[in-house]
Amino acid sequence: MDVKTLTKMTKWMETTDLEEITWRSGDDKISLKLNSNPEHNSSITSTLEPVLAPSIGIFRFARPGKTNHLREGASVKTGAELGVIEVGKDFKTVAAPSNGLLKIISIQDGKPVEYGQPLFFIEPK
Amino acid sequence: MFKKVLISNRGEIAVRVIRTLRELGVKSVAVYSEADRSSLHVRLADEAVCIGPAMARESYLSIPAIIAAAKATGADAIHPGYGFLSENADFSAACRDNNITFIGPSPKSIQQLGHKSEARKMAVKAGIAVTPGTKECVGKDFRKDAEKVGFPLMIKAAAGGGGKGIRIVREASQLVNEMNMAQSESKAAFGNDEVYFEKYIELPRHIEVQFARDSHGNVVAFPERDCSIQRRHQKLVEESPSPAVNKKLREGLEEAAVKLAEAANYIGVGTVEFLLTQTGEFYFMEVNTRLQVEHPVTEFITGFDLVREQLLSASGEKLSYTGGHTVPYRGHSIEHRINAEDFSKNFAPSVGRIEEWIVPGGPGVRVDTHVYSGYNLPVYYDSMLAKLIVWAPNRAEAVDRSRRALEDFKVTGVKTTVDAHKLIIDSPDFQAGKTDTGFMERLLAPAQPVGAK
Repeated sequence: MDVKTLTKMTKWMETTDLEEITWRSGDDKISLKLNSNPEHNSSITSTLEPVLAPSIGIFRFARPGKTNHLREGASVKTGAELGVIEVGKDFKTVAAPSNGLLKIISIQDGKPVEYGQPLFFIEPK
Repeated sequence: MFKKVLISNRGEIAVRVIRTLRELGVKSVAVYSEADRSSLHVRLADEAVCIGPAMARESYLSIPAIIAAAKATGADAIHPGYGFLSENADFSAACRDNNITFIGPSPKSIQQLGHKSEARKMAVKAGIAVTPGTKECVGKDFRKDAEKVGFPLMIKAAAGGGGKGIRIVREASQLVNEMNMAQSESKAAFGNDEVYFEKYIELPRHIEVQFARDSHGNVVAFPERDCSIQRRHQKLVEESPSPAVNKKLREGLEEAAVKLAEAANYIGVGTVEFLLTQTGEFYFMEVNTRLQVEHPVTEFITGFDLVREQLLSASGEKLSYTGGHTVPYRGHSIEHRINAEDFSKNFAPSVGRIEEWIVPGGPGVRVDTHVYSGYNLPVYYDSMLAKLIVWAPNRAEAVDRSRRALEDFKVTGVKTTVDAHKLIIDSPDFQAGKTDTGFMERLLAPAQPVGAK
């Protein structure tokens, strides 16, 4: 069986719910098995640690009247205030869980957030 | 009518409210705790927002979190369901202050009617008979107050509800001890140790009247519900109409509910609870300023959707019926609360994953639930899994229908109270309509030979 036919057959198999076929012609025998769960074979591992919203509310990088020049790539210390969540009249601190580099900021100032929503990702040092 | 309503509750009642909202074309917002991520209300609502961790204090009981969720989603009203913040005047006020309509009475009505001794005063003013007792919360002179009321008496928490914060004192010698217990219990449960005394009526029936009133002054009282079958003050079976109430008594009960709703200038749906004595006198007990768990039995015999009436009255519209203070009903309805409890082990809570969940259906059967097979039961909240409600043209047929529906109910993975309900249904006293608040105790008492005691 040539590569062209093989390609055709695998393409066709993908359109069906077949997982495996065996094809015989004379002494030739070929078995095709589709890798139907590709996501199980490639695991995404991340060393980044998410920083989750401690409350529902409005996210602010800084308390009223203050500024906070947080940038991706900055180094942060455990307990450092990365921002606050405004809920009613309260401001709840979003604190860095560990020392490390702030790799991703996944929130914008003034946006509503849910409890447990990832706001930042830190690469711990 | 509202555009978008947030439901600040969980479980079957959140699902129940979403269903009416959908029928009215109103968008729904579910809120949920971390433990309820896979609950049915989250899946059925148009939007869902995680408001906090599993502990209710930080999620379903957090006023700032719920208001923040309403603002973030642009909801113009909040339906509180029952329990949690549904009878919290501060919550009703917080909604008002944030320009969100609270689907329930005003903070003032909640304060007046939700505080039991205030509600009693209002009932007396409206000309409704109340159980003999102290009119005010008791203070240092509580021994004298107790003598005046007479024994047996009940110590009740002023801020109590749902059967919590009640202690029965049978004789004077137990008074001081029970008083201390009642006050510390009330302090722990409600943050308030005010209590009052009430005469304890032996083996009464628990009868309640649902009413609805709009801002145009229309008020309707619905036929009574009988909730006498209770275990430790928690209702298990409710039915409507009551087998102990005749037409004349019904008129008296409905008239009392209408008077009270008008006296309080109440907007929304509410329920007046009465004690009915064995000899047919009724006494005002308390008002619940919310939708009640057992509201479906009223819906079944009258055809009303009480959540819809709540939405209509809260949005300033008229009730769907404005033709008078009473409504006709047809047939008989019974509700069974199916809890995740092990009936064979003294109703011990049962938790786990619901493996098999087959609910009854067919003519005259309604099941209100948030449970499905594969659902992991969170341990943080109440144990109710479902309400099974049946309707039939008369009580005897409703009992037969209950028996059939309970037979059909198949649950594996957790223990349920289905068997307890079968026992109730098969009791000759229940079948004869002879129920009172002592029914469960007698039913569950181990059989004793005559004269053994």
